This record gives sequence, structure tokens and C-alpha cells, in this order.
Amino acid sequence: MDRYHWLLIFHVAGAFLVLGGAMVAGIFNVAALRRERPSEIVVLYRLTQIAARAITLGMVVALAFGIWLVADLDFVKWSNAWVIIALILWVIASALGGAGGRREDETRRFAQQLAADGDTPSAELRARMRDPLTLALSWGSGLAVIAILAVMIWKPGH
Amino acid sequence: MLAILRPDSWNFPLFLHVLGATLVTGATAAAFILAVSSRQWPWMRRVLARTLLLATFPAWILMRLAGEWINSRENIPGSPGWLGVGYIVGDGGLVLLVVAMILGAVGVRRPQRNWPVSTVAVLTGVYFVALIVAMVAMTGKPGS
Repeated sequence: MDRYHWLLIFHVAGAFLVLGGAMVAGIFNVAALRRERPSEIVVLYRLTQIAARAITLGMVVALAFGIWLVADLDFVKWSNAWVIIALILWVIASALGGAGGRREDETRRFAQQLAADGDTPSAELRARMRDPLTLALSWGSGLAVIAILAVMIWKPGH
Repeated sequence: MLAILRPDSWNFPLFLHVLGATLVTGATAAAFILAVSSRQWPWMRRVLARTLLLATFPAWILMRLAGEWINSRENIPGSPGWLGVGYIVGDGGLVLLVVAMILGAVGVRRPQRNWPVSTVAVLTGVYFVALIVAMVAMTGKPGS
């Protein structure tokens, strides 16, 4: 295999970490929404944190090897529309995911506190978990990542 | 930055195939984590069974059907090894997933038995590694 294919493997591996991690986070998130006991919700939120770390690592790896590929290939330019759009979407996905993750972290800490104080179902916890802004940020980040994949395949303006 | 130059008509099936592949990898990882964790938290067995049925299997269908679609468009000459790896992991994965789904359901119905969920952990762990190998083979296309 030549250098292009090795760089591509690591770039795609980064994309797999991001999209696969988003799938894992989505599954645990939906499962948490269906639970009532705070202690069970805490466990699922902790598992979501594993996925969040995989997503963060994948975002860095995909970006680093993507930049390397653009620098290495003669027929891809920094001025190509699809390269610029992908970078903008990367920033948007990171910002949305980071903001959503911080809000979910606050909810996890609240659930942890409830679990320690009797572990009884709480209407406030349920409301925080279903907070439309938090859900929009997290799921919006996932959609932005899917949009990056679409840009990488269609390459508008190439 | 997936394969630079290709006809436009290949883009949509390729998008669905890659999206399906990433989602089935993530859903398999989630199933593995749930199967391992359900030894400590038995209530996770139901989440595991639902994940296999409603996330892993539909993502596998998307990956496999879109893979066949793009293969029919590309009309790849001969039988390159990387394509063979894709077929083995794709079709072999169905067998693993069906067995995992059955054992996942058994694990919910027979909470006193641990072996079904332990077997699901092994199956999903093996399939996760196989998916990564397929990703490397299909992206790097060694030998072509």
C-alpha cells in the first residue's frame, strides 16, 4: 500500500470513531431516557462518556489525517469548496457536541446526587434529560458529522 | 476524503454503505459494552436485546444492501482480496448477529442464566474486530 492509502485508512478510522461513537452515545442516550431510577441513568451516562471520548479522539484523528491528505495530494487544494465546507462543518459539529456534552454532564451529576439521596425517580431529572436544547445540541452535532461524510463523498465544487 | 474521483451515480450508494458501516460498527460496540456491563447490571439485558434488534441489525442491512448496490455500479473486475474480505465480514456478520439476537432474547427471558449474555459479548467482540479489519481492507485496497 502507498502513503495515500495509509493516510486514508487513518482518516477513515477517525471517521469511524466519530460516527460509530455517535451511534454508541445515541443508543445509551435513548436507553437513559427510558429509565426511571437515577442510579441506572448514571450508569448509562457514564457509558456515554466512553463514546464521547471516542468521538473527541476521532474528530482529532480525522482532521489531522485529512489535513495531511490535502497537503500531500496535488489535485486537492485548500481552496476547494468541499474542503472549506468540511472544515466549517467540523467546527460546527465540535461546538454543538461540546455544548451538548457539558449540559449532559450537569444532568449526570444531578442524577448522581439523586442516586445517593434515596435513588427515587425524579420529575426534574426527567425534565432535564428531555431538555429540548440539550437534545438539539447533541443530535445536531451528529447530523453535522453525517453532513461531513456526505461532503467527503460528493465533494461539491471539485 | 473517500476515493477522490468516481462517477456521480456511485455517490449515493457509497454514502449509504459507509454510513451503514460506521453505524453497524458503533452499534456492535454498544452491544459489546452492554453485554459485558449486564453481568454487573442485569437490567441492561433488555437494553442489549433491543440494541441488537433495533440498532445493530438495521445498520447491518443498510451497510449490506448499499454495499451490493455500489458493487453493481462499480462492476469491479476479478475478485480482489479486499472485496472478498468485505463479503466475508458482511455475510458472516449476519450469522453472528442472528445468533447474538437470539441469545440476547434468551438472556432477557432466562435472567438466571449468564451464558447467553456472555456468548453475546464474545460474538459482538469478534464481530467488532472483523468490522475494523474490513474497514482497513476496503479503504486501503491492498493488492489492487
